[in-house]
Amino acid sequence: MKKSIKSIVVLVVICAIVSVIMAITNYITYPIIAKNEQQRANGALLEVLPDGGSFEEFDISSYTLPLTVSDVYLAENGGYAIKLSTTGYSTGMVIMCGISPDGRVVGTKLVSSSETPAIGGVAAEAYREKVIGKDVSNIDGVDTVSGATKTTAAYRNAVKDALNSVIILGGGNVDLRSDEEILNDNLSEALPAAEGEFEKHFFVEETEGVDAIYLAKNNTGAVCVIGESFVAVDENGNVTGAFEESLAQTAISAVSMINSTTLSDIDLSAYENLPKHLVSAKRTDSGNYVMEIKGAGYGITGGDEYHPASGEYILIKVSMTKEGRVIDCLTLSQKETDGIGSVCAEESFYGQFDGKTPETYGEIDAISGATLTTDGYKKAIVRAFECVKIFEEVK
Amino acid sequence: MDAFKNLVVILLSSVLVNNYVLSRFLGICPFLGVSKKINQAVGMGTSVTIVMLLATLATWPIQHFVLDSFGLSYMQTIVFILIIASLVQMLEIFLKKFVPSLHKDLGVYLPLITTNCAVLGVSINNITDSYTFVESIVSSLGVGLGFLLAMVLFSGLRSRIDEDEVPKGFRGVAITLLAASFISLAFMGLTGIVDNIFA
Amino acid sequence: MNKNSNLSIFFNGILKENPVLMLILGTCPTLATTSNVFGAFGMGVATLMVLVCSNILISMLRKIIPDNVRIPCYIVIIAGFVTVVQMLINAFFPELYDMLGVYIALIVVNCIILGRAEMFASKNTVIKSALDGLGMGIGFTLALCSIATIREVLGAASFAGIAIPFLADYKIEFFVKAPGGMMVYALMIALVYAITSGKGPKKKSFSCSGCPGANKCHSKECEKEDK
Repeated sequence: MKKSIKSIVVLVVICAIVSVIMAITNYITYPIIAKNEQQRANGALLEVLPDGGSFEEFDISSYTLPLTVSDVYLAENGGYAIKLSTTGYSTGMVIMCGISPDGRVVGTKLVSSSETPAIGGVAAEAYREKVIGKDVSNIDGVDTVSGATKTTAAYRNAVKDALNSVIILGGGNVDLRSDEEILNDNLSEALPAAEGEFEKHFFVEETEGVDAIYLAKNNTGAVCVIGESFVAVDENGNVTGAFEESLAQTAISAVSMINSTTLSDIDLSAYENLPKHLVSAKRTDSGNYVMEIKGAGYGITGGDEYHPASGEYILIKVSMTKEGRVIDCLTLSQKETDGIGSVCAEESFYGQFDGKTPETYGEIDAISGATLTTDGYKKAIVRAFECVKIFEEVK
Repeated sequence: MDAFKNLVVILLSSVLVNNYVLSRFLGICPFLGVSKKINQAVGMGTSVTIVMLLATLATWPIQHFVLDSFGLSYMQTIVFILIIASLVQMLEIFLKKFVPSLHKDLGVYLPLITTNCAVLGVSINNITDSYTFVESIVSSLGVGLGFLLAMVLFSGLRSRIDEDEVPKGFRGVAITLLAASFISLAFMGLTGIVDNIFA
Repeated sequence: MNKNSNLSIFFNGILKENPVLMLILGTCPTLATTSNVFGAFGMGVATLMVLVCSNILISMLRKIIPDNVRIPCYIVIIAGFVTVVQMLINAFFPELYDMLGVYIALIVVNCIILGRAEMFASKNTVIKSALDGLGMGIGFTLALCSIATIREVLGAASFAGIAIPFLADYKIEFFVKAPGGMMVYALMIALVYAITSGKGPKKKSFSCSGCPGANKCHSKECEKEDK
């Protein structure tokens, strides 16, 4: 009994001594550790905003910010550090962005991502420098990095979202809609009857003054984009809304022209020497041609024009005059490398062909990193013109 | 559903990817010392898993409701190791008295577990990774199962090594470590599986 | 040299009974913290401090601590010193603290420390225990640093964080990963065996010689060793 009491006493005394030593050490080190921990927590924030001083998390629940924004930290100097998560080539790209009090990008950091390390990862690292010093007015001007368009475009858009957020947090208004949403909103405003469902008209006639026509999917009319104006023409051919007489006339004639145009199929088997790539061809009353033609991009091994289809062709719809001037052009389908050659499916690429003649086809800018795709596309347009020449000769 | 997914990911990653023995070297002493025979390996692995679960059941509430609320977080190490040591003692007494058959099987491994760094490691890591109570339990279970898996796999290898003619300098510890190195290399191949399992 | 002279006690830990390479103790920190020299050195020094302090205190109290509660007493003392060292590292070397993480707290269960408390400090004078702790600690640090040097130079082409320009293109990342650590350690053990031509103390099986539970442990292996 005596022995066990002694044991307990000794154990308790040792515990007490050790606790005192620990408490003293804790008393001395606690303030330093607390400071270190704050610095550690702010480490990533200070990296993107070195002059920030201390940071505190900003409550963003009462603001409508871009969806990519996940956390906002307000710095002592009035700047912001903003954490964004976005999707580059694959999901889960997390970026930290530091914005100075006057709304410029001070620094950015790729916190984590699952991008291909050798491509997207490297590009994002290089891209970090490019956006520094930009503000909301010139961030769009930063070029993407070829070969990693998706990653870098996502990066740039995230940084832009951060810049916009700062404006919103400062009480400003920012249009957060994407280009497509803005277009659709404008169209719906012009023609509410269409209920927001539009389809872009593919021009087969050269239409003076009209940039684009969107047809309502429920046949309630069409909207002509003329410069900055959206002129709606209803199903009866009348302009709705108040527009200048000349604008209204242009729109009415354009819509009536596209409604009156008839297309006749051309029987391809009646012609010899047509390139095998031609899928279908139609002729308008006015003698223009609308063709669907295949282009050999990167998806076709070897890039050989007459190589049997071992991959996927780019399917292109093109309309041109009998002189070969391109009226309209559209990529119907493609299976080029995602993020690189797939740019050929975007209007910013194929829209370049509008108005080009056989002499100027070559002026189209090649997509860097996707030369084979661009070349295949151009060859397809040239080939389409060859078809037109064959049709015209026989006629 | 997401919560369930999260638990599965924690479980699988602590069994396979972040296997304590093979990628973090926690609990490597008993791994190399006791894993000579498969029944020993199973006994040790099971005991460790049980103690890990019990330790987490005890340490998590104590950390959150006692240490954190009284500003005594710095006592973590000392409190945890004492909890584990007394848990092991109590478990041994309990088994001896009430389940003697199990005590016969597992009892010999229990004293070794006090100084098994994997048990203390998982208790501390559950706190530093700020897991919830349920997540902590799942993670401890995973770590324990990962330990058991590594022990059982390795015991097969060990019994072969023991029968081979090994160069003198490599006999014993060195060849065992080399073999462990190759198993660890194989486990490295599992990295990335768990993260993408629901992708 | 007199076996019990202070000098021989000090050098014993560094060479003849080097805990890492000869006695194969403290495997866990040896493998986990040697992927770079900075971390290995930090771990070595932290362990050294705990070892010296706990050896001194345990030796001082060796006549007071009753035999039946000695293990809990040792654990409390060691855990206390580990916590002190942990707080000091966190306060003054935050980078090292981030690098070593949970392994600092795990010094508590390092077999070397409990082993020295049980086998040496509880039976010897304060000065001898301090020297023993110092020697063992330095031996531990040196062994860790040598393993770390091999791993970091081959695996990361750097030394203590300083890049070696000439090697940058020939990194073998395997060596800084877990399996590489085990392989380097295994080769070091074999090398030491070759140098000492097997005359060092007989390598014991893991965990038992330093294991505080050894006297309680009834596993056949331990019994075999006890004989």
